[in-house]
Amino acid sequence: MSTAIEIAGLTKIYKEIRALDGVDLIVPEGSVFGFLGPNGAGKTTALRILTGMARPTDGAARIFGHDVVHATNDVRSLVGYLPDVPAYYPWMTAEEYLRFAGRLFGVSGPVLDDRVSSLLEMAGLAGVKQRVGGFSRGMKQRLGVAQALINAPRLLMLDEPTSALDPMGRKDVLDMIAALRGKTTVFFSTHILTDVERVCDTVAILDHGRVVRQASIGEIKREGHATRLLVEVEEGAELLEQALAGQAWVRECVRNGQAVRCVIEDVAAAHRTVPALVARLDLALVRMMDEEPTLEDVFVELVGRGV
Amino acid sequence: MRGLGVLLGKEFTEILRTWRLYVVPGILIFFGISSPILAELTPQLLSSMPGLAEQGVSIEIPPATTVDAYLQFNKNAMQIALIAVIIATAGAIAGERSSGTAQIVLAKPVSRTAMVVAKALSSWGLILVAVAVASLLCAGVTALIFDTDLLPEFAGVVGLWYVLAMFLVALTLFFSAALGSSAGAAGAGIAAYFTLTIGSLWETVREFTPVGLLGAGDRIIMGATDIPVVWPVITGLAGAFALVGLAAVAFGRKEL
Repeated sequence: MSTAIEIAGLTKIYKEIRALDGVDLIVPEGSVFGFLGPNGAGKTTALRILTGMARPTDGAARIFGHDVVHATNDVRSLVGYLPDVPAYYPWMTAEEYLRFAGRLFGVSGPVLDDRVSSLLEMAGLAGVKQRVGGFSRGMKQRLGVAQALINAPRLLMLDEPTSALDPMGRKDVLDMIAALRGKTTVFFSTHILTDVERVCDTVAILDHGRVVRQASIGEIKREGHATRLLVEVEEGAELLEQALAGQAWVRECVRNGQAVRCVIEDVAAAHRTVPALVARLDLALVRMMDEEPTLEDVFVELVGRGV
Repeated sequence: MRGLGVLLGKEFTEILRTWRLYVVPGILIFFGISSPILAELTPQLLSSMPGLAEQGVSIEIPPATTVDAYLQFNKNAMQIALIAVIIATAGAIAGERSSGTAQIVLAKPVSRTAMVVAKALSSWGLILVAVAVASLLCAGVTALIFDTDLLPEFAGVVGLWYVLAMFLVALTLFFSAALGSSAGAAGAGIAAYFTLTIGSLWETVREFTPVGLLGAGDRIIMGATDIPVVWPVITGLAGAFALVGLAAVAFGRKEL
């Protein structure tokens, strides 16, 4: 599989602040790639460098093999980009903006007509004659995704496309992104973990300007991270919690009613020990099940703080 | 300069749909119509000021002429209209940066130079049309009230004004690109305009630089024939193109 984005040792320093600190990243072509990190981690800075809006202090970034610093127009022809807060000319309509954006890519004639029409339809803006200045945030964001697709890009870069949207707006934008799977590479920055879990197949976690992990979502949840175990009894969960907390393979336990949820480090040991422990305490077992860690669990573990 | 044609089209459409159509053209057209009328009325207004006759003061003002009408227009155009031009241009690039519209446009295969050149050409085009309409109106109203004298001289004076306006547009665009602030660019542009005005006190500066465009119009309308305008026009036009180039370089160096 070829590479859409290749970043090596990318560093950006603003006066005293090291916004990016030697970022290495590979985005495979065809993936829906989540670029995940808390606010201020450096996601937008990385995207600004990739789109030629900012220059790196050190390191290199390539899109489909083109250096983003020197081959700017070659790179931009292949890319669609939605900034975190998209701003348009307020006197234009959505259709006019898409036509303007298309012509900047050199698209014209029937091809432009077809793309404008289908993208307006996809963005739910067909027939909207209102000027963009009067659009809601959700409409602007959907128009943003549409204008980023006007050149049928090989790579679509979206900076926090859902961060300021209400649940319906988020759903619309995520549906649009999900519909692009298999058609183009999507590089999608966000701090919203559920969005990444919903649409991305690969993820990189950025913290303090560094990539702390990059893998597929399945892999990142499985590899080397603690698993959760849920044990529920009919009554006497306090006793069970105490007993579980004393086991060497248990990292922490939390009781909720008659259920005890533990973070464990040895699944096999847990499976061997827990039924015997429940029997010894003379408790009635209702259920015992492994729980896959969520991306949030992994994120907190890697980044070391909540989001 | 990839994207210049598309950006130029967008600039002209923007002019037709926003305040840009009304501000500078409105001011110029207002002066075009009102200057001859004001010139005609000024002697009557002054001589009819209340209280002067009771105090035994007698003011003898010669009747207004075509010269007064054109001087009035040139004075207004040289001051208020040029300051309006500076203010209207100040946000051209800084406004696109601060609002974020430049970011989404320049992520496409478009050069920053094309964006700057489109701004300059559209502003120059708008001002050219506006001053042409305003001066035709001024000449028409002047002909109705006075006569059709001095038309070639007036056309030349309007031409000199336009070269100075081109220079100030380019200078303000440069400030807009370099400072990144609309207010800062407007302030710097107005300060530069007053600096040029002070510079016009020196004859050598007046003879060879765009500064010479400032006072030349009035003297030409009043009948002077030995006003050096060739070098001020050449340096004014060259300076305007050079400043657009500098604005493109300054904008190219900015991070968005």
